[in-house]
Amino acid sequence: MEPPPEDCRIPLDAAEKIILAWDSTACEEARDRMIFESDPQEVDRYLQAVDEIQRSLSSTSLDSQSGNKVNATIKIAMARLEDEFRNILFTHTSPFETDSFTSITVDPSSSVHSSSSSSFNSATPRSPSAELGDLVDDHFGGGDLEDASRRSSYRSTSSIREIDLVPSDAIFDLRSIADRMISAGYLRECIQVYGGVRKPAIDASFRRLGIEKLSIGDIQRLEWEQLETKIRRWIRAAKLCVRVLFASEKKLCEQIFEEMGTSVDDTCFLETVKGPAFRLFSFAEAISKSRRSPEKLFKTLDLHDGLMNLIPDIDIVFESKSSESIRIQAAEILSRLAEAARGILSEFENAVLREPSRVPVPGGTIHPLTRYSGDPTTPDMEFAELEGKTPFALHLIWVIVILQFNLEGKSKHYKEAPLAHLFMMNNVHYIVQKVQGSPELREMIGDDYLKKLKGKLRQAATSYERASWMGVLHCLRDEGLSVSGSFSSGVSKTALRERFKQFNTMFEEVHRTQAAWLVPDVQVREELRISISEKLIPAYRSFLGRFRSHLESGRHSENCIKYSAEDLETAVLDFFEGNPVSQNMMRRRSH
Amino acid sequence: MRATDNQGSFLNRISIRRNQVVSMDGNHEQELQDLELFQKQVADRFSDLLSSSSEDGADALLSVSWLRKLVDVFLCCDADFKAVLVVGRDPSQISKPPLDRLVPEYLDRVVKALDVCNAVSHGVEAVRHYQKLAEIAVSAFEQRPIFDGQVRRAKKALNSLMLTLEEQEGSNLKSAERTWSFGRRTANITDRALPGRVHSLSWNMAKGWSAAKQIQAMSANLVMPRGAESSGLASPVYIMSTVMVFVMWALVAAIPCQERNGLPTYFPWPRQQGWAQSMVALQEKISEEWKKKREKPRLAGLLEETQRLERLGQSLIEFAESFQFPTGAEGFEEVVAQVAELAETCKKMEEGLVPLQQQIREVFHTLVRSRTEILHVLDQGGKVSAPPM
Repeated sequence: MEPPPEDCRIPLDAAEKIILAWDSTACEEARDRMIFESDPQEVDRYLQAVDEIQRSLSSTSLDSQSGNKVNATIKIAMARLEDEFRNILFTHTSPFETDSFTSITVDPSSSVHSSSSSSFNSATPRSPSAELGDLVDDHFGGGDLEDASRRSSYRSTSSIREIDLVPSDAIFDLRSIADRMISAGYLRECIQVYGGVRKPAIDASFRRLGIEKLSIGDIQRLEWEQLETKIRRWIRAAKLCVRVLFASEKKLCEQIFEEMGTSVDDTCFLETVKGPAFRLFSFAEAISKSRRSPEKLFKTLDLHDGLMNLIPDIDIVFESKSSESIRIQAAEILSRLAEAARGILSEFENAVLREPSRVPVPGGTIHPLTRYSGDPTTPDMEFAELEGKTPFALHLIWVIVILQFNLEGKSKHYKEAPLAHLFMMNNVHYIVQKVQGSPELREMIGDDYLKKLKGKLRQAATSYERASWMGVLHCLRDEGLSVSGSFSSGVSKTALRERFKQFNTMFEEVHRTQAAWLVPDVQVREELRISISEKLIPAYRSFLGRFRSHLESGRHSENCIKYSAEDLETAVLDFFEGNPVSQNMMRRRSH
Repeated sequence: MRATDNQGSFLNRISIRRNQVVSMDGNHEQELQDLELFQKQVADRFSDLLSSSSEDGADALLSVSWLRKLVDVFLCCDADFKAVLVVGRDPSQISKPPLDRLVPEYLDRVVKALDVCNAVSHGVEAVRHYQKLAEIAVSAFEQRPIFDGQVRRAKKALNSLMLTLEEQEGSNLKSAERTWSFGRRTANITDRALPGRVHSLSWNMAKGWSAAKQIQAMSANLVMPRGAESSGLASPVYIMSTVMVFVMWALVAAIPCQERNGLPTYFPWPRQQGWAQSMVALQEKISEEWKKKREKPRLAGLLEETQRLERLGQSLIEFAESFQFPTGAEGFEEVVAQVAELAETCKKMEEGLVPLQQQIREVFHTLVRSRTEILHVLDQGGKVSAPPM
């Protein structure tokens, strides 16, 4: 601050009078008004008075009564200035207004890291709190349109965006006070006052952003679905906090305390922001330490990604040496999250490889492990670069390979071969479905591998049919029925009867067993049934047509021919429902 | 295999079994030795802590440096505990009773301790705030010659300090009136902007979280194993649990934490056991101090430096109130000495508080690691038949 020209200087005793007049402990009137809310001349007078007293201190002899008086006067002035500082800062500090629900119109050019020279000319006509309020409301989005809000949030919080928290004229006043306090040696008080006003403001902002204070016990007790919501919210809130809130606080400190001594602005900033930053990150930390289980993989990766994208901005906002601990903490948490994700994946892998259960899944349906291996839910996944994108995809494929390997091993535990094939079918189909259903997974796993999986599916289906129906269809063959090798000599009635009996028995057996088997997917079920029918019904019909007449003329014809083709068609509908059928169901007879 | 091996003579079977018994005894002895060693280490470390806090000891009880030693002791005990429980251990042993109940209980305590670590970390920030206020007073008093203005400045800072130390949870309007130099016409005052008021502690932990309750919950179900159980692994689990509860409790007693009303002052720990003697002695000393303070509602904590700040602060306020320039010779030397002591205390705080915070962070991470390792072992030794869900 430049000293006023000589002719503006106030004589010492006049200066003292001014200061004493504003001594709130002594003067009633002084308590009711604020200097900096009076007219500018009053302000100037007071500041000049302070300057004058300051100057005189250096020229007075130290031990005298007048020295004492000067010192006392300075103390009064400083106390007053402290209150004025607090008042100005407080007046311009308010939590975000809740009535500014208009959607934000973000000027893309303003999202660049602005230099301090533009600070006093900020063109925004709206109050800083309204602007921040918009960002916050935007953060919560209009309704449930997550995409819409996400888009505009990204626009506004995709990079550091400093908001002028305090208008420039107030900054000017604050600076003139701070300068004098610091020159008088009252730096500590100044820092205390600053922190005392800004810290609660940040707390209020945190509350507004929905940043909760959750203890680790709380986080442990929550269901994972609830935590997923909180993680999503945290990622958005953290972006706002680092890129806007903290960045703006830093700018405010710079504006007020620039060039006023060694890194005063830095000290104030850290004092204000350290606690909240720690609290913000401790949520991510708690998530990284929670018990690992497979369903947490993708959200953990989301959190990792979210934090990773913030690291460059964290490094900028907290670039000073004294903010090192915050940077270190963020980096630590990031690596812990990566570790957690890796751990989940490898534990799952191990579980898949070693899953030793020898009890086949009843009905050949989908094994719980299969269900776990492909359950991505979030549509807006960004995958982490654990060691790079592709290796992760490879890793996932690897897990699926292991899963298949394990499944094949499991399928061997089934006593009935057809069931084993059905089991493979069910499980591989599930995987295929899940991969196809998720664009990200599909992109990662690739169409080639998907084709391979589908091939496996077809293979399993074919193997199933062969294993189940070869024997049954064998009953309907022509060979062995004729007496002497050709049909012209006649068909052996005994053999024919045997055949029918055999067919009935075998089909009943298959029907009974396989009705209790389960193919969960409706489409696969239908296709299987159709495939069976296609092979079975025409063969039976033709067999019936050709040889029925041979038996009808004889006795006991009803014993052998139990079923019509329609009966069989109906029976096939029972297959793979997972419901055991009673024997009686097959005793229908129609002609 | 051996059980189903019906071949072989009776003698063969006998000799096989004898070998088995011998090898079991060998392992058993080794284990007993390990347990004894663990107990001894615990005993030694706490005995050191006790003696260093004695009258002529190096660190006053509950001073910053003593707390740092306490935290160190905890970290060492935890490392030893892991060596006993986890390293080279057959996982199935930890899943058998009574450990199948005791180990999960221990892990539950660990999780609670994590929250205490966080609360204490925040509390250290509050203590640093006290320090900063005291430093204003020191720098004012150290000016020569001592002018009225400086004395009043120091007095203002010390008054703020006293108010902060006396602060209750939630807003305290009386303090509001005193620290505003003047009233305001407009009704814009909230207690947020008030000077000298510690940034409210209750905002740092989850609403409703209580340090006292947390400690109480941690010490629930903490029962010394008896009889046959006491010779197995149940014993080190009990010892480590007790150590953890003690350390957390001591930290909470010393550092301002959210909601310490109802902090227990008695624990049913086995004072006659060798490993527990020093710890119980320390606990009793601390409890006594705590009970003394309970008469005046003080949330500032028993930290030795805090208490010193309070004592010196009061005395210096009295001096300031009766001060008139120029300083008289009488009594002034005492004031100088007190200021020097205050400065010394601030210096210790400056040097020790940040490292203490870092150590508490380390405790946090160590606890997490221990928990992960133990969970891992439990998983391995756990049931194998059911598929993992």
